[in-house]
Amino acid sequence: MEEEEIEKLVTAYLKKRGFKDAELAFQEELHRHPKNASASAGAAAAAGGSGALSDPDVAKLVQLFSESKSVPEQYHDGYGRLRSWAHDSLDLYKHELLRVLYPVFIHCFMDLIAQGHLHEARIFFNSFRDDHAMMHSGDLLKLEGVLSPSHLEEMEFAHYLRNTKATIKICQYSYELLLQYLHKTQSFTMLGIINERINFQVSPGQPTSLSDDVGVETIFTTDDATKINPKEIQWGLLEDSLEDRFEKGAFSPLEADKGEGEAKEAEQDDNKKRSGEGKQGNAIKKSKKDKAAAAAVKNSRTEANTVSTAPRVKAELTLPVMSTEVEQSILEDLRNRVQLSSTALPSVSFYTFVNTHNGLNCSTISQDGSLVAGGFSDSSLKVWDMAKLGQQSAVLQGENDMNNGEHAGPLGGRRSYSLYQGHSGPIHAVTFSPLGDFILSSSADSTVRLWSTKLNANLVCYKGHNYPVWDVQFSPVGHYFASASHDRTARVWSMDRIQPLRIMAGHLSDVDCVQWHPNCNYIATGSSDKTVRLWDVASGECLRIFVGHRSVILSLAISPDGRYMASGDEDGTIMVWDLSSGRCITPLMGHASCVWTLGYSCEGTLLASGSADCSVRLWDVTTSTKTPRNEEKSGSTGRLRSLKTLLTKSTPVYTLQFSRRNLLFAAGALSKGA
Amino acid sequence: MSFVVKESVEVIAQCIGITNLSPEVAEALGPDVEYRIREIIQEAVKCMRHSKRTVLTGDDVDSALRLRNVEPTYGFTSNDAPRFKRAAGHKDLFYIDEKDLEFKDVMDAPLPRAPPETSVIAHWLAVEGVQPAIPENPPVEAASEGTRFEYKDDGISADGSLSVKHVVTKELQLYYEKVRELAFKKPNSMIFKEALQSLATDSGLQPLVPFFVSSIADEVSKNLTKIQLLFALVRVVRSLLHNPHIHIEPYLHQLMPSLVTCVVTRQLGNHVSDNHWELRNMSASSMASICKRYGHAYQNLQPRVVRTLLHAFLDPNNSLPQHYGAVRGLAGLGPTAVRMFILPNLEPYMQLIKAEIAHDNLKNYSKKLEAWRVYRALMCAAGMCMYERLKLLPNLFSPPSRAIWKNTRKVATVLPNKRRASSDNLLPQPPQKKPAIEANPMVRPMGGSMQMSHMPMSSMQVAGASGTMTNPGVMGMGRLVHHEGVQGRDPRNLAARSSSVLAQAWKETVNAGQVLESLFDHFGESMFCFTVKPELSIFL
Repeated sequence: MEEEEIEKLVTAYLKKRGFKDAELAFQEELHRHPKNASASAGAAAAAGGSGALSDPDVAKLVQLFSESKSVPEQYHDGYGRLRSWAHDSLDLYKHELLRVLYPVFIHCFMDLIAQGHLHEARIFFNSFRDDHAMMHSGDLLKLEGVLSPSHLEEMEFAHYLRNTKATIKICQYSYELLLQYLHKTQSFTMLGIINERINFQVSPGQPTSLSDDVGVETIFTTDDATKINPKEIQWGLLEDSLEDRFEKGAFSPLEADKGEGEAKEAEQDDNKKRSGEGKQGNAIKKSKKDKAAAAAVKNSRTEANTVSTAPRVKAELTLPVMSTEVEQSILEDLRNRVQLSSTALPSVSFYTFVNTHNGLNCSTISQDGSLVAGGFSDSSLKVWDMAKLGQQSAVLQGENDMNNGEHAGPLGGRRSYSLYQGHSGPIHAVTFSPLGDFILSSSADSTVRLWSTKLNANLVCYKGHNYPVWDVQFSPVGHYFASASHDRTARVWSMDRIQPLRIMAGHLSDVDCVQWHPNCNYIATGSSDKTVRLWDVASGECLRIFVGHRSVILSLAISPDGRYMASGDEDGTIMVWDLSSGRCITPLMGHASCVWTLGYSCEGTLLASGSADCSVRLWDVTTSTKTPRNEEKSGSTGRLRSLKTLLTKSTPVYTLQFSRRNLLFAAGALSKGA
Repeated sequence: MSFVVKESVEVIAQCIGITNLSPEVAEALGPDVEYRIREIIQEAVKCMRHSKRTVLTGDDVDSALRLRNVEPTYGFTSNDAPRFKRAAGHKDLFYIDEKDLEFKDVMDAPLPRAPPETSVIAHWLAVEGVQPAIPENPPVEAASEGTRFEYKDDGISADGSLSVKHVVTKELQLYYEKVRELAFKKPNSMIFKEALQSLATDSGLQPLVPFFVSSIADEVSKNLTKIQLLFALVRVVRSLLHNPHIHIEPYLHQLMPSLVTCVVTRQLGNHVSDNHWELRNMSASSMASICKRYGHAYQNLQPRVVRTLLHAFLDPNNSLPQHYGAVRGLAGLGPTAVRMFILPNLEPYMQLIKAEIAHDNLKNYSKKLEAWRVYRALMCAAGMCMYERLKLLPNLFSPPSRAIWKNTRKVATVLPNKRRASSDNLLPQPPQKKPAIEANPMVRPMGGSMQMSHMPMSSMQVAGASGTMTNPGVMGMGRLVHHEGVQGRDPRNLAARSSSVLAQAWKETVNAGQVLESLFDHFGESMFCFTVKPELSIFL
């Protein structure tokens, strides 16, 4: 490097930094001792041994200092250039390089904020936000509000981003391209950010294909996920379940006749005989609802049942004992189950809440569809007995109300529902116990209450959460239940203890929904941090993190064979996950708005979803789950299978539930605005 | 840089009585206020989601404030979302339009009615995957989007020529072009007849059906004056209908209007010599065959056709050829249709026709001919109908005797008056008649019951006479036996015994009798050829 150049650079540097006196002095000195200066420079060079000044890196640094504009401009230009470079790069590597942009972008923004360049940060943010608006609109909305360094400290999300390294999978060549570019253009700001904030997983060989690009959203969390997800889970069903015994009994009645089975099988056989007479009596009551059941039940039994093929596992929890009567009624249901498939769609019975005045927050339907409960924003919980409603026998209802110490309704005690009062805040979730004798409700007053439908009274108030409890779910066997709260925890309780048994902490934001695995050993939680986690109930450990949703997760369902899970989000996307691998099998697109509720049919062939767009959709999940993901890259349409869209009349669907006989119940509140 | 500018902060500070706010503080507060607002909104949205709503309300904001341990802003709660108004001159400034209320007015106002109690209504959203068409479910049209999607899944597209184009091979395209050309240029040639034959039998034409159908619909509406072309097109339709390999049901809705046009339009062809009568006949028979074949599957097909035809028939302003077409069309739909829709209106219409026929004006000669044609068409229709009726009542032509002129005469004087009374007020206002006809289900066993229901008693009285009255036809053969007294009394006794079965049977008889009687009135002896000859029945 020429000495004169260095002199110029030094001058420029001094000028830029505002060292006017030093600059003047320097120039004076230069003018006075031109030779001297060069000599001293030469001496310095000599002193440096190998010639420090001729070292290109130092020269570059000096150059950088002199060239550089203000700090914000460095960020702005640096990012701008990186962006246009990435967009102009080779098509094959482009999507990988584009993936780098987003973390760089948000860190640039946060750096600027942290350094106090608030105005510039805002300009920077606005000029590039459109690039990322599609994929990360939620994050952007949050970040947009950050307006001072203190906010960065305060905001969990920003804090989290600052403390985690983004992980990006990138192929060898793309990585080299990126490094080359950064060095060639000497954009040290960008280089710094990329070094500091991004953790590259460089893989040899070809770049990953675009369709495989589920990881876009995962950038900031895969770190945990990759650590956690390899853990083993036993997704199988409980051994010796009632279904199991039923299957055995149904397929080998002879065996049972021989009497070689245990007492239970004999008893079951007994049931079968009895059901012959029972059917007529019972049929009258249920035939209306299950008329489809009787028709299909005979021919369909031989079909392969996905549930039966699932492996069996031991229960980790002590399970409540089931009475024989209950067992019998369940067996009766199983016998009358309609086999559903993509060609045999279910019947849907819809319960419409009218005159709710926008006050209905949640509703739930009991397993057999006879009871419907609604949780209201005025803290009340109302339960309708649909069987009684049909018979118009409101007298009994009135008496019940009196027992409960409630005032009689305005129409002389002729209220069509039983009213449960006790909460002091809007009710956000209601759930029936599997047998329909208990109801749990969770409320914004941070409590969960247990009610008895027999006594029409509040039994227990579970206090433990510190913030509104968004969701509560009974376990498939009853007795245990799980709750999800704004305090970012999910808790597992048993009915007989007022303290939680387990606290699942780990989500980065509200836990919005919770769902039990059919074998009761796991619970799944969906959160506002856009992830779904699977927890071991016995150990309280997080076993899986499912990343891929682009917005808040609102609903969850786990298939009856325990192998798959569906999750629905605020945008209307439903994702189906494989629990064992932790990967998304297929996203199901179609809903235009929040997916409030999801439900698998009893044999796991159909998935039903209810949404704020006033529709119930039925999805064929057999085709999508049977074909492995990599076979479907050819883009066959079998991957997305919407079987049917059932529109309601301006009634958003709040809840839906398959009965054991595979009749689908759904409920929602009629709303004029929708 | 922040949405909350310094000035806003200053104004708010003044509002709450802080006067000595330094500018730096105001400037620093702005961004923080914005951050806090965003935070609150974020929490409020969470509350909204968990209340299963998609519209943010004041309640949600209150809940969010409570979550943050902040005193909620009271007074903004409402069950409905607030209505914002856009501030004039600003793109993104909104406000809530609130009116000042006089406190006294609010106090004096009567209490509002208690809101109705929340309740739950159950209905079937779907039965085995199919949405029943009940008022609780949205109309089916709204759901069509979904069905269209599923169509595509199967690789079949019901509409959209684009995707069909893939399927249509070059050969088929040539075939289609050729047939079209023939229909246009040489509708009478031998080769066109061959083409029609091929259309009626070829099994591979399904891909072309949408093209044929839409082209027919287009051409018919464009070329109402070119009678030859219309003939050719109707023949094509007939061939397509004949083809057992073609699934034409999805296109019926496109096909029917063209056919109906060919039946009842005002003018077909532009020459007097054009044989539009034949065209009408042919179209009517095609239409009838469609109704016969698909009427069961599409319940509203036949009623709609009937309604159109009846409109044409009942409107006295329509030209006679239109009436002719309508009559032919109705006759094609079978004797039931004739009995239900033509016979009740026959009396007044005959007067109209007879007036035309009676015109001995040379100028109106063509019109007279037209009237004759309509007359004959009516006669045929009525005759066929009567023939069917008589065939059902074998007892009526048992002994070749009974009827006496006097008797029939008597009834005849009673009956037509009645009929006229009912049909007279019918004719001037045909539209009013329409609902009554529509209300009448097509499958009603007895068309005549309309008149019957007016006066069951008197009709029972008439029954005695009419039992004999059926035989004007027989009477013409000169066999008069004075049996009427006995015959007349007999049914009355039967009726008196209130045997409902017999009453029913007699009603039938009465109807048939009435029908025949009135027809005889109108058409005279030419009706006889439609009676079942007892001699013939020997062979049955």
